[in-house]
Amino acid sequence: MSCLLEVTALCKTYRKQHGLFRQETIKALENISFQLHAGKTLAIVGETGSGKSTLAKVLVGIEQPDQGEIRLAGKVVTMTNYRKYNHVIRYLFQDAERALNPSQKIGDMLTDVLRFSTVLDNLQRQQKVLESLQQVGLMDEHIDFYPHMFSAGQQQRIALARALILDPKLLILDEALTVLDPTLRAQIVNLLLELQQQKGLAYLLISKNLRLVRHISDHCIVMQHGQVVESGPTEQLLTQPQHAHTRKLMGMS
Amino acid sequence: MLLLDIRNLTIELETNHGLVRAVDRVNLNLREGEIRGLVGESGSGKSLIAKAIVNVLNQRWRITADRFHWFGQDLLQLSFDQQRKIIGRDIAMIYQEPSKCLDPTALIAEQLQESIPNDVIKGSWWGRESRKKKKAIALLHKVGIKDHVAVLSSYPYQLSEGVCQKVMIAMAIAKNPKLLIADEPTTALESSTQAQLFRLITSLNQLKGMSVLLISNELDSIARYTHNLSVLYCGQLVESGKTSQVLAQPYHPYTDALIKSVPEFQPDLPAKSMLYALPGSIPTLQHLPVGCRLGPRCPNARKECVHTPSLQSKQQHFYSCHFPLQRKGS
Ligand SMILES: Nc1ncnc2c1ncn2[C@@H]1O[C@H](COP(=O)(O)OP(=O)(O)O)[C@@H](O)[C@H]1O
Ligand SMILES: Nc1ncnc2c1ncn2[C@@H]1O[C@H](COP(=O)(O)OP(=O)(O)O)[C@@H](O)[C@H]1O
Ligand code: SF4
Ligand SMILES: [Mg+2]
Ligand SMILES: [Mg+2]
Repeated sequence: MSCLLEVTALCKTYRKQHGLFRQETIKALENISFQLHAGKTLAIVGETGSGKSTLAKVLVGIEQPDQGEIRLAGKVVTMTNYRKYNHVIRYLFQDAERALNPSQKIGDMLTDVLRFSTVLDNLQRQQKVLESLQQVGLMDEHIDFYPHMFSAGQQQRIALARALILDPKLLILDEALTVLDPTLRAQIVNLLLELQQQKGLAYLLISKNLRLVRHISDHCIVMQHGQVVESGPTEQLLTQPQHAHTRKLMGMS
Repeated sequence: MLLLDIRNLTIELETNHGLVRAVDRVNLNLREGEIRGLVGESGSGKSLIAKAIVNVLNQRWRITADRFHWFGQDLLQLSFDQQRKIIGRDIAMIYQEPSKCLDPTALIAEQLQESIPNDVIKGSWWGRESRKKKKAIALLHKVGIKDHVAVLSSYPYQLSEGVCQKVMIAMAIAKNPKLLIADEPTTALESSTQAQLFRLITSLNQLKGMSVLLISNELDSIARYTHNLSVLYCGQLVESGKTSQVLAQPYHPYTDALIKSVPEFQPDLPAKSMLYALPGSIPTLQHLPVGCRLGPRCPNARKECVHTPSLQSKQQHFYSCHFPLQRKGS
């Protein structure tokens, strides 16, 4: 199977200024390496502040790494050619509502994404927009809706449609499923599983819900203070956690 | 003895298009020392019910009930001020987002001491402040915060969500409430902190006999920590009973869907297989279906379902459905 994403020795340090003289450095990512194959799901778990979102942001190019290498389908990704890749990896936040522009109709928002990142013409764009709405279980007439006219769950679907419209190979879900209601979460999980089966989509799932991690993911990485403390196949990792921190996360100690 | 006994609680909102009924004739009982879970899709009225109990809904809401008893006393017969007094003394509430409920501009020490009522502090007014200080420290210890010095001299934003939530609980239990209402207290927290908080709430229940109304959608916690369970859908009570019974043998299709949709309750479900999911989503208050509100999404719906089902019971297990699910194996 082809290796979609290969991350080697990724490092990221934040500098925080306290007053004039004191500077605090936070090692948000230290020497992170992993691989993710097409059609697979990698879960990242760890307590708040362990660096999960930083990793996601570095992967989608919102933050720049200090060191390390990111390879997408074998090719090294650098900041200068990032635009070329930004449709390959898409990012879904926890808070769909805040991520959507309140003054833009859903249809226009989706069309804009296509206008910026593809060479499709008007008609093709229109078709693609309707297709992607359908894909997430929304209807054609929703293109004329504004975000506030949707429920939280539907907003998460819209965010998903926007993420999927560029046919990405990898979708990063940063606590995007955590806040959903159980029955709605089941719908979205099913949709994600289906897409993975049909299109070989890979997921990077950041979630504090370990049951969900167990159900969806193939591999799992446990992070603490910016470092990987344990990793392995999810089933094995969650049935026989080796590291004390993993056990703590699981509420076993 | 029944602590809280509510019959046919209805909560309506005045809008431009007339009254909309957000909570429709809900019954709710709590015994002394009981932990009751309240679950349901968001928007189903859980927070409204909690707010109606602690009387913090504003004038736009119209609250009616056939019975609203607290310790056998009919609260509806009392003046607003008297209600306030009783509720303020006996019932405490904690919310989902502690950082929004704590005052960002005040030290934890100030906020915590302010929440301690004078009659909890024994003795004369002389030296009351220092006794309050001691009480504040004791409260922090009780909720599992060991480093009270650092926490007391912090502002809320300097503390993690988990610690803030513990401070909220400390403030809530300062008055030794008879009932604690916890409205999705752990949704924002990570699992290890969640577990700590639930253990804390259970121990307060066991040591102090404090009753708890636990609003949450985390079914595994509900299963572990509650004695009884009420399930809401779209403002209506669809099922209630002993937690173990309701979860083992739900009669209502919504409860059934809720249980089946969570992987942890389906131990035999292979990883990465499809979860059970009801189609569609919860209707808005402006577009409520007639009859059973689950109707448009219900796999068992038939003609009769255009009439609202009434609450029925089998051995203290209540449900409102025309076609209750059959017992497994029968
Ligand atoms: N923009 C930023 N500036 C400074 N520090 C940051 C920034 N973003 C995150 N951090 C810090 O980096 C660490 C990792 O944060 P984050 O990646 O958000 O963790 P997680 O998503 O696991 O909760 C934390 O200590 C956080 O305070
Ligand atoms: N301030 C408000 N104005 C208008 N509608 C509201 C308000 N608060 C709640 N509602 C509506 O009342 C219903 C129940 O809300 P709520 O009790 O918050 O649900 P839950 O806590 O179960 O998620 C929802 O349909 C919600 O949209
Ligand atoms: S009354 Fe009818 S529609 Fe409602 S839950 Fe029962 S079977 Fe479904
Ligand atoms: Mg994060
Ligand atoms: Mg609520």
